Amino acid sequence: MDRWRGARRALVLLLAACAAAGAFAAAACGGDDDDEAATPAATATQASSATATPPATPTPAVAAEARPVLPAKVKDKDGQEITVSDVSRIVVLNGDLTEVVYALGLGENVVGVDTSATYPPEAQQKPKIGYQRSLNAEGILSLQPTVIIGSELAGPPAVIEQVKSAGVPVVLFKTVSSLDDVTRKINDVATALGVPNRGKLLAAQTKQEIDEAVALAAKATSKPRVAFLYLRGSTTQVIMGKGSGADVLITAAGAIDAGAEAGVTGSKPLTPEALVAAAPDVILVLTAGLQSVGGVDGLLQIPGVAQTPAGQQKRVVDFDDQYLLGLGPRAGKALMDLVKALHPELGG
Amino acid sequence: MRLEARGIWFRAGRVPLVAGADVRVEPGEFVAVVGANGAGKSTLVRLLAGDLRPGEGEVLLGGRPLAEYRAAELALLRSVLPQQSRIEFSFTVRQVVEMGRSPHRGRGQDPAADARAVEAAMRAADVAELAERAYPGLSGGEQSRVCLARVLAQETPVVLLDEPTAALDIRHQHQVLGVVRGLAMQGRAVLAVLHDLNLAAAYATRVVAMHRGAVAADGPPAEVLRAEVLSRIYEHPVEVVRTGTPERLVVLPRHELPPALPTGTG
Amino acid sequence: MATRAETIARGAGAAWRWRLAALPTLAMLLGAAVLLNLVIGAVRVPPTAVLGVLLDHLGLPGVLEYTQQQEAVVWNIRVPRTLLALVVGAGLATAGCALQGIFRNPLADPGIIGVSSGAALGAVGIIILGIAPLGAWSTPAAAFGGGLALTLMVYVLSRRDGRTEVVTLVLTGVALNAIAGGIIGFALFFATDAQLRNVVFWQLGSVGGATWPNVRPAIVLASCAVLPLLRYGHRLNLLALGEREAYHLGVDTERLRLEVIALAALATAAAVSFAGIISFVGLVVPHMLRLMLGPDHRRLLPASALLGAAAIALADLAARTVVAPAEMPLGVVTALAGGPYFLWLIHRTRRAQGGWG
Repeated sequence: MDRWRGARRALVLLLAACAAAGAFAAAACGGDDDDEAATPAATATQASSATATPPATPTPAVAAEARPVLPAKVKDKDGQEITVSDVSRIVVLNGDLTEVVYALGLGENVVGVDTSATYPPEAQQKPKIGYQRSLNAEGILSLQPTVIIGSELAGPPAVIEQVKSAGVPVVLFKTVSSLDDVTRKINDVATALGVPNRGKLLAAQTKQEIDEAVALAAKATSKPRVAFLYLRGSTTQVIMGKGSGADVLITAAGAIDAGAEAGVTGSKPLTPEALVAAAPDVILVLTAGLQSVGGVDGLLQIPGVAQTPAGQQKRVVDFDDQYLLGLGPRAGKALMDLVKALHPELGG
Repeated sequence: MRLEARGIWFRAGRVPLVAGADVRVEPGEFVAVVGANGAGKSTLVRLLAGDLRPGEGEVLLGGRPLAEYRAAELALLRSVLPQQSRIEFSFTVRQVVEMGRSPHRGRGQDPAADARAVEAAMRAADVAELAERAYPGLSGGEQSRVCLARVLAQETPVVLLDEPTAALDIRHQHQVLGVVRGLAMQGRAVLAVLHDLNLAAAYATRVVAMHRGAVAADGPPAEVLRAEVLSRIYEHPVEVVRTGTPERLVVLPRHELPPALPTGTG
Repeated sequence: MATRAETIARGAGAAWRWRLAALPTLAMLLGAAVLLNLVIGAVRVPPTAVLGVLLDHLGLPGVLEYTQQQEAVVWNIRVPRTLLALVVGAGLATAGCALQGIFRNPLADPGIIGVSSGAALGAVGIIILGIAPLGAWSTPAAAFGGGLALTLMVYVLSRRDGRTEVVTLVLTGVALNAIAGGIIGFALFFATDAQLRNVVFWQLGSVGGATWPNVRPAIVLASCAVLPLLRYGHRLNLLALGEREAYHLGVDTERLRLEVIALAALATAAAVSFAGIISFVGLVVPHMLRLMLGPDHRRLLPASALLGAAAIALADLAARTVVAPAEMPLGVVTALAGGPYFLWLIHRTRRAQGGWG
């Protein structure tokens, strides 16, 4: 009897401990999320380079149009004209388009986003419809959307067909792969949502910021070799090259994409040989990727990294995923941060 | 219906397991196949059953080469009891015996006749009481009798049995061989591999003695089961005595005990 | 002694009654699963509207009212999705049951003959090459072709002198599965992040991509495999006695093996190519039924088709409603729901029988 009571007391204690640990972990995680959301900008690890502060969502463009002009007509990725007559409930199928919608001042109309929508932070509070490539038709329809916008990556195709068959306009755009396309993307989204003038203003502002960054890059005296490494713990470690999205930014920032120059198209497994061939002066990584290998110290443990010039001088630059690769309204700011991080001589 | 093997050879790789054997079973006969381990008895049964094709020579069933029969035709003419049957799934005894009727399915037969054949077979093999038990849970001897019941239920003119009495107790050995002898008396052609020479002597109408893949002797039990024949094929001294009324053959292998160990102080 | 015999007899009687009632019970379960799938979902559609949509499409328009969106949800999403779930579940479970019979091994599953890894190889190949020669049909077609091709290879490589031995077949399957796995791993090494996500999504399985155009071929292909398979019950029972024994009882075992493997590969390939890899069902549903209904394949095959269909339908119902508006991979649900139940069943059976003997 006594033993039984003792066991029960132990169990209760154990449960309490578990609950406490759980709550603690949850609080800690929540804190992490907030941090990430609040500082999605670049944090250059090198002591001499600039640490960019998070740019606020640009809002002046909103003033260009009091309210959306509807119905709006827009051409999708296949050149088909789609009519949008109501933007009161928008479902956005990917993260960088979500950013554009918010920048256009229509964030309040968003009723659903995909899991890649990390910016702005408010977007994370919206109902999640899953990842853009594994969508669920009825889930999307249950949000009662009046318009759905996404990129050509959205799918599976059958799900897109199912959603269309419910009579909801689905507008899918081509993915953006160059800095020149950024303005097109902003204008496309703005047109689809009936706020073309806001789009023009936002595009112009973004273009200007990109141009400023490019102009600053032109003043740089160095031309560092930059290797963009994509890391997910110890299982996925690849070096990115031509067509990675980051290559256009690296080139525009007045640097050499060491991966592309070493002959990498897309991505290639990260081997000591590949790293030596690339011989980067700077290693560019995504913040989450850097965390997944245990920070800069962990990165230097990856075979081959310590032997590169970048490894020897500990020149590692990390950027938030969506900030660096979003190629949206923040593209100019991201590029500016990258220019400053890659060219310490500019005194950024 | 007659089953006949003419000069059949079968090799496993280069080793001949059956080397030019001639064997014949006529309706009404109970042929016992005897011989030492590895003499080729089981391979002979597999060749006669059609499981294996002889490399040379041929097997004729009712005068027609075995190779010309389809599996379904063959199943109506000959049944086979293999040495041991492992069944993965837990079928009941009745289900297993019923499967013996399967060649007769779809031939316009009265289902009651099937049921009668199953009941008769289970009684003959003394497994009627086990009918609802699961096969995998039975003892080796019980399983062996269930398989025999399945063979009996098949009701074929030719019956091939590979050691039907191996796992059985004395009562069941005699009961089963009595049933088998009864089949021969009904006019079926029966061939059985038997290890126990005394059982062969008691029940078979003819004995085929195999030695190294070939037929060493073939004839009535009294002719084949002689001391010099058996001593030769088993490569062990054997005595044969005649005793009792009516006279019975009794085979007695000689044995020599190893010399007693000297009793030491331990 | 008498009491024990009575107990056994009573137990056998109860078991017998349950076995007789099993097929109607499973059919009712399936019916209920279908009904729930049509009525429940992220979008609220009243049952009367669901009925109205169905009646309309069955040629009785205007009986009950519904909106255009309700029609789209019910007729274009839920009905095809449910049908695909049924086809996939019936196909995988029936194929699994038939293969367990052919290999005389309760642990055989559709993967054993290479069809799953072949299909995976085809699908992963298409995803990573990033080509779509047949448009939206590219991945299903590649998976289907890959599944059948690898099965054919397993069969051809394990054949010698016109005969295939079960052990050779299983070992060849193991070898080719390993090779296929290696090639997939090699290909994944070069995949982009997005391609990896696509592959993972495909491998976890989903019937979410069901539309009328792809449900129709799935139904036709799976029916062409499942319905003929139901007729092999008796021969599979005979095979359970042993390879030789089955032959002695008139079964052409070589032909039986070829036919059943071909049909099972077809059923599995049809399921896998439209829904991705859904583990567990092919192995566990027949096994569960064997524990409940006994080993008679004449009953097991149709029961597997019914329970497999109901299981996938119910699993998909959970997959699409539990985390709505997003959805869980179907394979996750089948494993998480089926696993514990299976453990319980194993435990109970061992306790009741005192072992597998």
